[in-house]
Amino acid sequence: MALLEVENLRIELSTRDGTAPVIDDLSFHLDAGETLSFVGESGCGKSMTALALMGLLPERIGRIASGAIRFDGEDLTKASPARLREIRGNDISMIFQEPMTSLNPVFTIGEQIAEVLRAHQGLSRQAAWDHAVELIDAVRIPNPKGRAGDYPFQMSGGQRQRAMIAMALACKPKILIADEPTTALDVTVQAQIFDLLRDLRAQTGTSIILITHDMGAVAEMAERMIVMYAGRKAELGPVAQIINHARHPYTQGLISCVPHLHDVLTEDRPELFEVPGIVPSLRDFGRDECLFASRCAHVTDQCRSARPPEKSFEGGQIADCWHAEAM
Amino acid sequence: MTDTPLLSVENLSVRFEIKRGGWGKKSYLYAVDDVSFQVPKGQTLGIVGESGSGKTTAALAVARLVPAHQGVARLGEDDILSKEGEDLRRMRRRVQFIFQDPYSSLNPRKRVADIVREPLDSLSDKSEAEKKKIVDDLFEAVGLRPEQQRLFPHQFSGGQRQRIGIARALATQPELIICDEAVSALDVAVQAQILNLLRRLQAQFGLTYLFISHDLGVVQHMCDSIAVMYMGKIVEQADRLSLFNNPQHPYTRALLSAVPRVDHPGQPSRNRVLIPGDPPDPNNLPPGCRFASRCPIAKPDCSQREPLPQSIGTTHSAACHYVGTDALDAIGMAD
Repeated sequence: MALLEVENLRIELSTRDGTAPVIDDLSFHLDAGETLSFVGESGCGKSMTALALMGLLPERIGRIASGAIRFDGEDLTKASPARLREIRGNDISMIFQEPMTSLNPVFTIGEQIAEVLRAHQGLSRQAAWDHAVELIDAVRIPNPKGRAGDYPFQMSGGQRQRAMIAMALACKPKILIADEPTTALDVTVQAQIFDLLRDLRAQTGTSIILITHDMGAVAEMAERMIVMYAGRKAELGPVAQIINHARHPYTQGLISCVPHLHDVLTEDRPELFEVPGIVPSLRDFGRDECLFASRCAHVTDQCRSARPPEKSFEGGQIADCWHAEAM
Repeated sequence: MTDTPLLSVENLSVRFEIKRGGWGKKSYLYAVDDVSFQVPKGQTLGIVGESGSGKTTAALAVARLVPAHQGVARLGEDDILSKEGEDLRRMRRRVQFIFQDPYSSLNPRKRVADIVREPLDSLSDKSEAEKKKIVDDLFEAVGLRPEQQRLFPHQFSGGQRQRIGIARALATQPELIICDEAVSALDVAVQAQILNLLRRLQAQFGLTYLFISHDLGVVQHMCDSIAVMYMGKIVEQADRLSLFNNPQHPYTRALLSAVPRVDHPGQPSRNRVLIPGDPPDPNNLPPGCRFASRCPIAKPDCSQREPLPQSIGTTHSAACHYVGTDALDAIGMAD
């Protein structure tokens, strides 16, 4: 059985124009020890999915309308707030994009990591502190004993993100959700953080859900990926297979619109592939049509009249496109 | 590059005063330290580097938005840094800036047509009718509809706002446009639209770009030559093909190897050059090579002697003691 199974999840946000499904009929599973990546532009529902898994949807505005999130057989959509608090940090934890704003500026990072251990594992003050120092060492911050007493502002961006990772991994969670963990960091630091996440995964067997917009990061980190568009899954499958042969025009666009570095650079620089337009507004989410139709080069009348069905291909690749076979 | 370059910068330094010592002693942080580069007309020079490397400060100094401490910057024949008063105003017409954040760089209280017209109001002496015509043409050139001129910035998406920023930069028909991380705040699909637009405009108006970015993929796509900065210094400078296919400075190699690629999915850390740790404290720079503390091939000598740029061929130079020696082979890229 998979570690995490999400079935027909639908999340609704109430806006001034009524309720909009920010996640519309999303199903996927995550195996133990696997890295799964969510890709897409901003406003496509990647972070909402993560917040739903954590039970952290914005109160009174967002709610799970239907579907199930089964973690180790337990349905999180029906769990009590107390039970969710127990799971958060212990079994599922999260690292965020901006390490500066997600750390508390008035506590040292050692205290912040120790707090997690005391709350979830009931360690004594001293035991929690000692363990925190070990964790700081595990995420390769030099001089862990001394740095545990530092405040977030005394650290560089990369070190802050390492401290976040140490905090997230404090209770050896089964799932680590990383929401754009390196977007605010420089590339050399990003490479260090990726190496660290990969090593920690190998040591602890934690599954990782990596949310990103960078196809290169996906290629480097994940085994499987889900491409999200306007709250719906556009494509799902093994990373290598999708990058080599994407079946959804949006995935193809995402891959080819970025100027990638190649092993050997040549003189020619063709125009970048353009996906015209922008992501539709929340108002248009949930319509019974392909939401990508207005930006798609392969659009037909069929796309505008009904939501495309899931089409399965070998190797577990699934694309939600009327014309997936022809791609 | 026989004819005079449009922009020529020599030995530029920019320093900031950081604190007064107890006895009126001043101390300075050199954000840009003895930097030289040239941009031929109609071409694009990319400046890459990590945050804090001084790439934006160098560009701001060229645009006279921060005072330079030392050095010379010439636009054609004219000295940029010594201009004052009316001469400076005339010069500003010829150098314009596209900013990183399309949200904070547009005045929220102005209609976008007025935002685009503002440089014309303050820097040119054109008549109202001429200005109107120029604004209309610019909206068309950057791909916005004429009826959108009356809207306010909040009514636009990020990509459209960046188009407005570009239109504003083009208003005075500048020769040099400085793009400071012009696409890094945008989503990838929108980024492609803006990059294509910038290249089309360059061909159409014969623009020269100084293109500042941390994204090596974008720089590779946009630039004819590239300067790599580290801690205020240019460590390597070359034409596009030499820099990406035959990088000579260990830092450039590390930077290139750190970029995740889509070529070989599922095979990470191929030839990755690891540079441990963080850059040195800019307030207290070590003697010798600034990269020595993180460099995989550093020898004791490196932290004593400062490396000077060494030429490799006509269009390529790198500031490392071990340029062209076997030492570099130890850090990969030897395909």
